[in-house]
Amino acid sequence: MRRKIFKRILKKIKTPTPNPPEVSSHGDIALKKQNIKETLDQNLKIFKYLYTVPDNVDVKIREITIPSLNRNAAILYIASISDVIDIEERILHPLLHHSDGSGKIENIVSAQTLKTAQKIEDIVNEVNGGVTALFVDGDRQCYLMEMQNFQSRSIGMAENEVVLKGPKESFTEKAIINISLVRKLIRDENLVAERTVISKRSNNGLFMLYVKDLVNDELLNEVKSRISKLDLAAVHSISFVEQLIEERKSSLFPTVLYTERPDRASAFLEEGHIVLMLDSSPACLIVPTTFWAHFHNPEEHYLRYPYGNFTRLLRFLALFIALFISPLYVAIANYHSGMIPPDLLLAIAATREKVPFPAIIEIIMMEFAFELIREAGLRVPSPIGPTIGIVGALILGQAAVQANIISPLVIIIVALGGLTSFAINDVNLNYTVRLMKFIFIFAAGILGVYGLTASFILCLFYMVSIKSFGVPYLAPYTPTYRSSEDIVTRKRIGSERFRPGYLKPKDSIKKGEV
Amino acid sequence: MEERIMYRTLLLILVLLFTVCLAGCYDLKEVDQRAYVIAMGLDKSERENQLKITYIIANPEVGSLVGGSTDEPPQETITVHSSDFITAKNTANTVVSKQLTYEMLQIMVVSEELASRKDFIRWFYDTTKDREIRRDTYLAISKEDASEYLQNNKPQLETRPHKYFQFMITRGVETGMLPDSTFHRFYEITEQDADLFLAIYTTSKPAKDPPARHEDEYMAGEVNAKGDANKTQFAGAAVFKEGVMIGKLNGQETRIASVLDETTDIKDVLSTIHDPFNKEYRLAVRILKKQNNEVTMNLEKSTPEIRIKVPLVVDVLSDRSMVDYTKDTRKREILRRQIKVDFEREYNGLIAKSQQEFKGCPFPLSLDARKYFLTIKEYKNFDWMKTYPDMDIHVTVNIFFTGFGKQTKVPNIKHMRD
Repeated sequence: MRRKIFKRILKKIKTPTPNPPEVSSHGDIALKKQNIKETLDQNLKIFKYLYTVPDNVDVKIREITIPSLNRNAAILYIASISDVIDIEERILHPLLHHSDGSGKIENIVSAQTLKTAQKIEDIVNEVNGGVTALFVDGDRQCYLMEMQNFQSRSIGMAENEVVLKGPKESFTEKAIINISLVRKLIRDENLVAERTVISKRSNNGLFMLYVKDLVNDELLNEVKSRISKLDLAAVHSISFVEQLIEERKSSLFPTVLYTERPDRASAFLEEGHIVLMLDSSPACLIVPTTFWAHFHNPEEHYLRYPYGNFTRLLRFLALFIALFISPLYVAIANYHSGMIPPDLLLAIAATREKVPFPAIIEIIMMEFAFELIREAGLRVPSPIGPTIGIVGALILGQAAVQANIISPLVIIIVALGGLTSFAINDVNLNYTVRLMKFIFIFAAGILGVYGLTASFILCLFYMVSIKSFGVPYLAPYTPTYRSSEDIVTRKRIGSERFRPGYLKPKDSIKKGEV
Repeated sequence: MEERIMYRTLLLILVLLFTVCLAGCYDLKEVDQRAYVIAMGLDKSERENQLKITYIIANPEVGSLVGGSTDEPPQETITVHSSDFITAKNTANTVVSKQLTYEMLQIMVVSEELASRKDFIRWFYDTTKDREIRRDTYLAISKEDASEYLQNNKPQLETRPHKYFQFMITRGVETGMLPDSTFHRFYEITEQDADLFLAIYTTSKPAKDPPARHEDEYMAGEVNAKGDANKTQFAGAAVFKEGVMIGKLNGQETRIASVLDETTDIKDVLSTIHDPFNKEYRLAVRILKKQNNEVTMNLEKSTPEIRIKVPLVVDVLSDRSMVDYTKDTRKREILRRQIKVDFEREYNGLIAKSQQEFKGCPFPLSLDARKYFLTIKEYKNFDWMKTYPDMDIHVTVNIFFTGFGKQTKVPNIKHMRD
């Protein structure tokens, strides 16, 4: 009987939804597998068909006659992603005005790179990436020259991970620029940037950066194998990759670090981590990570030792306040009022007397309102931004208290919880804390401090069980590994001698005793 | 495989749900739905085996700005009869609208009459049964009926009752005029069955025109305080032997007991002693205790011998005979001797009184004695309480001076008046 009920529920969950009929594209795929033809006319016909010229306005085909060879030729490029002036100067001009009779294309065009290809599929892929293709009548190969010029934003300031002291640059939506920013910091021949195409349709390239003589080979293979398993049509943001390669996809805890700071990426690279970048994402992923990587902020290493540790401890405290202040209020006000000093208890009782809701409802209402202000503030167009502040602060705060809907203490508690949660810089961990808070509020509402403690211990059990690419989540704290002990507090820069042992780097000592 | 996991997940969710439904929200009570008992008074009821219980219940709205100021009184006092103070909570609900709670109980006032009865302890030990009563609650003994005491007690400035009791008691313990008489100490000392427990002594009915004495030699009710302040007085201690009140100590004796007691802290003891240079004057001193007492015992003898050395730091605050102590070692020595003699007389006096009158020690001296016994059995056979009255105990005081007031120099009266 019991199984039957379960089976019925499972069946409901598992029933597939109907699909619309598909149109076959076998013809196109077969065509792409072929090599190019001998005559220019045939080739142009194929490529005009593939690129839907002339309907496709930014795909350009320019037919010319090369005087020195006395043969017809054509160049194919996508104008929107190519440097048109370069094409004119380095390809068209030399081809049209060259008079030397050696007859080799390599010696005529002055493009920086030049390679040849026969397969239509390869040519198409290159052209899609901004390469200019040159077809010469009678040649069974195509000349490919890199002329790409993708439009992108220039390097900007880091906006989400702000530091006072330290580099201000951040990654931008162009991988080449991003790699350049990293190479600027690590001028080492061992820094490898491998590119793999990870999507079938949009051909998005994923860059994998690592320092060859530091990174653990097993780890590298693990990351590579996870990437090779990706089966995607298109990836438009590195965040998709993040969600696809992580171990526990519905867990509250992040196991991949997302950062927009080149200095941070470099620091992790030099410890033996692996950095992943996408062609078009203004951030990178760092794998593997521990809880502490999410908790830290680059600023703490730029600040002097005491100041850096002060911020660390402050944030550590903030983490706990953000997690526990609301649940503790719920627990204490409902179950353990003896724990509150008499003055405060009477003050709470006095303000709560006129409020119609139980403490837990009050807290949840305010937490909800606070989350709403945060979300709305994030999405609101900037001209009407200030309204949010006024509405949030005045209506929800002042008026709710005066209307006896919320007791003033709850406003303080929720505001303090909200404020401290802002101190957690990492976007992922920030969400973790905010969501965990609700779990704790319910646990505290149901079982008081006992429930709160029990759920926190369960949460710790869970955290200990998580691994990120084989690395325990709370390492090097538990299990213990040799490291620079950059955990809750950090040591003096001179004493940070080791690379983290949990990464099993090829070279684990950074430097000698200072 | 997939199905198994899903099946398990569903089962787990159900189990958790049941756990929460069955165990959750047990004893949940919102803070605003409770009436907070600040002080509880216990009297013997006219009926046998019943208590007369008086409650002071705080009004949370008084003194809180956000709730808006009210004209309501800061406290509510009610008296009910009940067989114990645990069920009395429900009896009181016939008058009080909210659920009574002892979570904020600061003080339990017991009338001298009830405290002197042999069966008081049977009622008192219910405090260990109730989950809400804290062990840091103070026990006080009132001269009159506790109900009358709580009724009369009307603090003028600390209108919120918990504040009044809190300040009154902590300050009293600091000055040494009141013993540190928490429930916990009561249980501890009573169950050790070796020494005497001291409880705070208080009254709201001061005597008419009591005789004037020196600054700390008063009992509660003997201080001749005039004015429109609250009439309640806290001073001295009620002495409990084996859970029964057997006598009283005045403020000075309580102070001495506190000085001799290593388990309590005294902070601000102001006292006077005879001025060695003029017998009519008295010198004001502040006594500080910075080091522990040194207790040596010889329990092997037929009359066990105990020597207690008390190191005291003394700050001389007044100088009516206008002697410049700072420049004259000899005069300082005279002063030191005088203080030593005075203190030793007082200290040994208390010990003698306790041996003769109470037949028990008013401070936990037995704690020091324990290390002289190898086994618990030996210690028990020794029977401290019984042996104590016959012991040869002597207290010596060592005095260290720290200062002679802000300005040490005094004018020469003879030269001034020439």
